[in-house]
Amino acid sequence: MPRLEKLGAGEHESRHLSPAPAIGAAVRDPIIGILLLAGIFDWLSGNAIHSVLLFTAALALAWDAIVPHPIEGTGPAVPVPTRLGPIPVAGALAYSVIIGGFGRYSWTTTIAVIVPAGAALALAWRRRGHAGPGPKRLDPVGEVAWASVFVALALWELTQLLLQPSLTTDSYAHPTISVLTDPVLTTHPGRSIVLFLWLALGWFLLQR
Amino acid sequence: MSSHDVALAVYVLFVLGGLLLQLLSSRDGSRIPSLGSVITRVMRTRSGRVGIVAGWAWLGLHFFAR
Repeated sequence: MPRLEKLGAGEHESRHLSPAPAIGAAVRDPIIGILLLAGIFDWLSGNAIHSVLLFTAALALAWDAIVPHPIEGTGPAVPVPTRLGPIPVAGALAYSVIIGGFGRYSWTTTIAVIVPAGAALALAWRRRGHAGPGPKRLDPVGEVAWASVFVALALWELTQLLLQPSLTTDSYAHPTISVLTDPVLTTHPGRSIVLFLWLALGWFLLQR
Repeated sequence: MSSHDVALAVYVLFVLGGLLLQLLSSRDGSRIPSLGSVITRVMRTRSGRVGIVAGWAWLGLHFFAR
């Protein structure tokens, strides 16, 4: 995404990006490409709601790069607590136990997952970049090492998916991660634990 | 060794590879950053933040939602 220099206080919302470099930035942004590609595969797999989420995020980021808009980081900060008190933790536990009691792919579970997912995405959109003592630049060796693990994992998962009888038919011989987790997620305790871990991961990410 | 076993073994290799990198990152002067540092770095931009959180949201939808 194109960046302009930092503005002083009161200068925000006064400078716009020129369209040509912004369009180029949107095309070059690998995150937009990854989201679009994942959305296409999810659509082909018959998961309309999932692909809508991915397409929406991709199009919003493309719009952010193309359309003139206020400079990122000049809006109000959106605080995310660094430590959770007992009430949010108890709420997350109650959520996990209650929603875990509903069947997978039910409308109740679907709505219960979409609500925190949408809220987290809105927070991520509005939030300023990390201003703490995080790394300014990572060693290229480290970047390549981690990228290799995740890209290879994604390619292996894609290979297993394409080796299935069809995109919507599971295969024991060529299991995707989803197929491997099915035995855990068929039980109420398993669903509750995974839901709680999912919420915890979301909170961890919003701290970044 | 069946195809199922091979697939499982490869998944385990990826997990072990990730754990190894995380362990290497904790050494003094390591050129390998921790996974947390990588995520923090990626999430410095709006594109990175939205991309990572969209991935997390997708996980929840994928495993639980219609």
